[in-house]
Amino acid sequence: MPMGKNIISTKPTTTEDTNRRKFLLWLSSLGLFGSAVISVVSNLVFIKPRATYGQPNRFSVGKPDDYPPGTRIALDNHRICIVREENKIAAVSTTCTHLGCIVGLSETGFACPCHGSRFDQDGNVTGGPAPKPLAWYKINLAPNGELEVDKDAEINAGTYLNL
Amino acid sequence: MRLALAIASLLILVIHGLVFYDQFFHKWEKFQTAYFDQAKVMAKSESERAALDGRSPRIEQILVTQFGEMRVDRCTTCHISADDPRFEKYAHPLKAHPFSAALGDKEINGKWERRHKFSDFGCTVCHDGQGRGLKEYYGHGKDHYWPDPMLGYVAQDTWRAEYKPKLVGKGYMEANCAQCHTEENFASTPTITKGRQLFFEKNCYGCHRIEGISNGTLAPDLSEVGKKFKVDYLWESVVDPRANLATSVMPKFNLTDDEVRALVIFLKSRRGINFNETSLERYRARIEEKKPEAVPVATTTGTGTVVPSTVPTPEAASALARGEKLIAEKSCVACHKLGDKDGGIAPDLSFEGLLKDGPWMMKHFKDPRAEMPDSIMPSFNFSEPDYQAMTDYLLSLKTPPPTTTAADTYKNLCARCHGEQGDGKGISWLYLDPAPRDLTKAAFMSSKPDERLIKSIQEGVAGASMPAWGKVLNETQVRDLVAYIRQTFTKEPARVMAAHQVPDQNPITMTPDSVKRGEQIYLMRCTGCHGRKADGKGPNSLDIIPRPRNLRNQFFVQSMTDRRLFDSILYGVQGTAMPPWIDYGMTKNDVGDVVNYLRSFNQPKK
Ligand code: FES
Repeated sequence: MPMGKNIISTKPTTTEDTNRRKFLLWLSSLGLFGSAVISVVSNLVFIKPRATYGQPNRFSVGKPDDYPPGTRIALDNHRICIVREENKIAAVSTTCTHLGCIVGLSETGFACPCHGSRFDQDGNVTGGPAPKPLAWYKINLAPNGELEVDKDAEINAGTYLNL
Repeated sequence: MRLALAIASLLILVIHGLVFYDQFFHKWEKFQTAYFDQAKVMAKSESERAALDGRSPRIEQILVTQFGEMRVDRCTTCHISADDPRFEKYAHPLKAHPFSAALGDKEINGKWERRHKFSDFGCTVCHDGQGRGLKEYYGHGKDHYWPDPMLGYVAQDTWRAEYKPKLVGKGYMEANCAQCHTEENFASTPTITKGRQLFFEKNCYGCHRIEGISNGTLAPDLSEVGKKFKVDYLWESVVDPRANLATSVMPKFNLTDDEVRALVIFLKSRRGINFNETSLERYRARIEEKKPEAVPVATTTGTGTVVPSTVPTPEAASALARGEKLIAEKSCVACHKLGDKDGGIAPDLSFEGLLKDGPWMMKHFKDPRAEMPDSIMPSFNFSEPDYQAMTDYLLSLKTPPPTTTAADTYKNLCARCHGEQGDGKGISWLYLDPAPRDLTKAAFMSSKPDERLIKSIQEGVAGASMPAWGKVLNETQVRDLVAYIRQTFTKEPARVMAAHQVPDQNPITMTPDSVKRGEQIYLMRCTGCHGRKADGKGPNSLDIIPRPRNLRNQFFVQSMTDRRLFDSILYGVQGTAMPPWIDYGMTKNDVGDVVNYLRSFNQPKK
């Protein structure tokens, strides 16, 4: 017996009627189920914001010429240090892996002012409470001739960009 | 029932799908994908290609912190290749931003370098537009409610169609250049320079104030006008001052489109705060500006632009020539008539030497409202020698107008204010307060005997723009004129009025008590029209033509005899809204108190 039969109707139920009802039921289910699926997907995607309100994570740091070979220049507002050796260039994070202070440059590499973590030139921990080495970020030469650092992309320590 | 359910659920699915599509498939993603694909084709090295492979469409954002409030610029989300010179020949939005020496870009070894790097300046600092918008409609600022549409590139949907084509063009962007590059004659902002010159040439500065440039007080302060208004509004206000404010008294300057554009761009650049200044620096600059020695007389403060020349050249051909030149240069004729030039606002100066004397002119120059309390003439703050030269020149204008018939006289001397039809609506009527008499108002005209009208013409009306024509016309001419006016406009002979019982002298002596009583009566009976301040601007005054008298116009009040005041108050003024107060139970003693009250604040200045 089909679901939701019209009790008052005295008309006998034909096969055509049954088919029609099945079809409508199928359509309704498709609509509701489809909507539900889209909602779920939307919600999952919406959870992650598409744009942040802070400084963008990919930014330009100027021309390679601004960093002559042998320099290590800390850009505190971006929390990175640009390291240039001959024709190789890299961007090392200056955010301490302990509690997130900005580390300073030192003779031997980096030193954190807060609890005294020390790092070598490559960002490896040489002392103090820091649990992890400093991150290295991807650096690219953009078409306009400027260097572009992408803090969303961490790379292996010691990977330089060849100019 | 089932059918309805099926349709409804499908409808929901479709709507859901559309929303989903709108939220997750963006045009900018297509642009970015197209860019990545193209760039990969152009890539020269493997690493470059790999870098591109690693990128996927996302919202690009530049945070600009140096220029006023922090700006969020997401323009590069669509214009992703703006800084990729290889895309120079592409169509928007992938077109690369051109390099130009005018923008300060430099070519070094065949490679261009930007002066204004996108990473520092973003896009909206120069272009305006809504940096946060991710759709063209919003980003370019076509939405009426967003503050700044892209300067010079976008005409908003709501803008007046005839102005739209005039409001686009690179020149408009100078308005933003000038917010940092405030130096005069900055090479890259020629239009601003022109606009600033026009601001002085056309004497805008006489009425308008712009901080650091001019100190006019008559018209709205324009220091922040660029922040408040979009270019369409500015354009409209310049070409048609009364478009937005029916009561505006700004003259129509009949500028060419190029001149209007220059002024609009100049005005658009006035945003109060210079992009380079923090508010603290601005505060300090203001303090600096207020130091007395920093304000030279007769010139403007601050940047001190094209200020009126203050140094009299001793070997100038003659003082008269200098005066003539000054009058011509200072745009006096933007308002006044002089010879064949006519601004259509202020009185005719063509034979001023006959009507006024030197001291009057000097006084009037320095303080236009000294003799004419409701005058709209600005005080321009020129130097004393300049005023002297202008006065000398005006005094030399002693050729009376060629007049033969009364009709000619009327046309030459009267029509400018009283109108061709004698209805008091000559070209300058709107700017005159008190307004010129409507000579067609039979009730007023025919209640006045010839002698009264003749006297008004010969001696002028104190405190009003009506000059003493007796200095130009002889008595017969005046009599003929009155006859002509009665015949042509009033079309009714003077009525012989029943003699009113009014005293020649106020019988109530002026005492503080009387003044107090007069004030009580005034507050009860007169404020509705003449206003609490007695300045003629009472709540009813807006609907009344002619307007109620400004009873603080001391020149007018002083010129009125007690007899005339009593007559006007007790028996009303025919053809105006002034009723005969005798009908409302006002006694002569009451009137005497009121007259004392009015006289009490209209004493001649000592
Ligand atoms: S935060 Fe750097 S050592 Fe603790």
